Amino acid sequence: MPEEMLDKLKQELIELVANVTGRDTKELKPDANFWKDLGVDSIKAIEISVAIERKFKVSIRDEQIPQITTIAEALKVLKEALEKKNKV
Amino acid sequence: MPDKRIVITGIGPISSIGIGKDKLWQGILQQRTNLKLEKCTLDGEIWDQFYFHKVENFDISDFGIDKDKLNDIKEWKEGEEIIDLNYLIAAIKLALDDSGLEYNRKDNNISLVLAHENLGLMPFGFKVSDLAYEMLINKRKKDISKKVFFDKFYRAFLKSGYDIQTFADLFHIARVFNIHNYSLFINNACASGLYAIEAASQIIRNNQAKAVIIAASDYPDIYKYLWFHELGIYSPDGMVRPFCKDSNGLVFGDGGAAIAIEDLEHARKRKAQIYAEYLGGGFDLEGWKITVPQIGGNSYQKAISKALKNSGIDKEKIDFLCPHGVGSQPIDYYEAKAITDVFETNQKKPLISTFKPYVGHNLGGSALLEAAILLLALKNGIVPATLNYDKPDPKFNISLVKTEIKSKLNIIMKTCCAFAGFNAAAVFKKID
Repeated sequence: MPEEMLDKLKQELIELVANVTGRDTKELKPDANFWKDLGVDSIKAIEISVAIERKFKVSIRDEQIPQITTIAEALKVLKEALEKKNKV
Repeated sequence: MPDKRIVITGIGPISSIGIGKDKLWQGILQQRTNLKLEKCTLDGEIWDQFYFHKVENFDISDFGIDKDKLNDIKEWKEGEEIIDLNYLIAAIKLALDDSGLEYNRKDNNISLVLAHENLGLMPFGFKVSDLAYEMLINKRKKDISKKVFFDKFYRAFLKSGYDIQTFADLFHIARVFNIHNYSLFINNACASGLYAIEAASQIIRNNQAKAVIIAASDYPDIYKYLWFHELGIYSPDGMVRPFCKDSNGLVFGDGGAAIAIEDLEHARKRKAQIYAEYLGGGFDLEGWKITVPQIGGNSYQKAISKALKNSGIDKEKIDFLCPHGVGSQPIDYYEAKAITDVFETNQKKPLISTFKPYVGHNLGGSALLEAAILLLALKNGIVPATLNYDKPDPKFNISLVKTEIKSKLNIIMKTCCAFAGFNAAAVFKKID
């Protein structure tokens, strides 16, 4: 996946997470941990996954949901899901 | 011809706080629990440990069940006592005796519906692991061909592997109770009990049987614990705290339950005691994820609304509702949202109390075991307190009964949101 595409996805993810958590986009540094640094709980983590699936029309596996703890992790999961989708 | 009316005439619970309906109800009133730390050891080394609500002093030979048939099952199981299978048999015996249905003849016109998630998983898992370990040790001494290895695996698991298929257990249990009618095995995860009640009522409505015995059970073994632990939804301190600030997961509960249902006319003709009428159920399959509920979805709301519609009951009429109430933050949140959405416009809200803090989460047996407790609550006109409900969390926007309430109950509801998104609700009404 080209760099500029990844940057665009990252920006979209930051906005999505900000929207779900009610945080400012500036607080969402790529490695900021949602749980520890932003007070995101297991309920919001599921809401983030639901929002990612809806926005990008992808399917995230059950076990990946708890892995989405940072923007960087979310991007990794999204990239994999998009690649899987494009392969089918 | 109007639909047949379905009534419950027998209850047979096996729980950590009492075997049989009287002892269980006594345990609820006394707010007892029997929480134990289960240590799984291998060659003296602790593999893992977890808390669960344990059934103690259970012996299948105490229930007056045909010994020859029990021995046949044991022989088929290669000498192994399958605990949850024995729970099913014992619960059925208790419920049949309680109902007064005459099952001990070939033309008894009774059907059987079993609800379970994975009978026999434990022996299979241990046999596979044992043999793999043995082969690994042997392989260090000499080479074993792939053909020999696979053949040995096949021979070793021939019985316990095939026995994970549930039809054999339906056979064994039906044989114990002389049941020859149309019978089913149901697996809808934690909602199995409610799906089973609906399936059983359809058997009667379709004239396939006059009565159906429904049984469900579960034995919380190490494999199930490891799965839930890894999902991050098992309480490390063994305390179920539904809808609380400090909810940290579910805790398994041992046991199961059986209930006997029949056509109202049939029950009245034989002057049977009637606990309640099953007015109807509502079911919705969310279809999002296997182990995670879709926060923000509306599948559970649909299941509850369908149950009300199918029962022909106004939501204002529900006196008492028993939710799944597992004590895991996302599941409780998902559940509280559904209940609040459905009942928020009520003038009179249903009383809500959960039973998992008493008897734990009986997994595939939980919905039926809790429905049995709910039916006893209806009969006795008491809404039990929710134990451990010390720090209610306002984010759940739901209020549970903290101290026991005596109330003239008339219509009650059991709801459940299970793995795989099997959302279910069932409505029962008292019959005078």
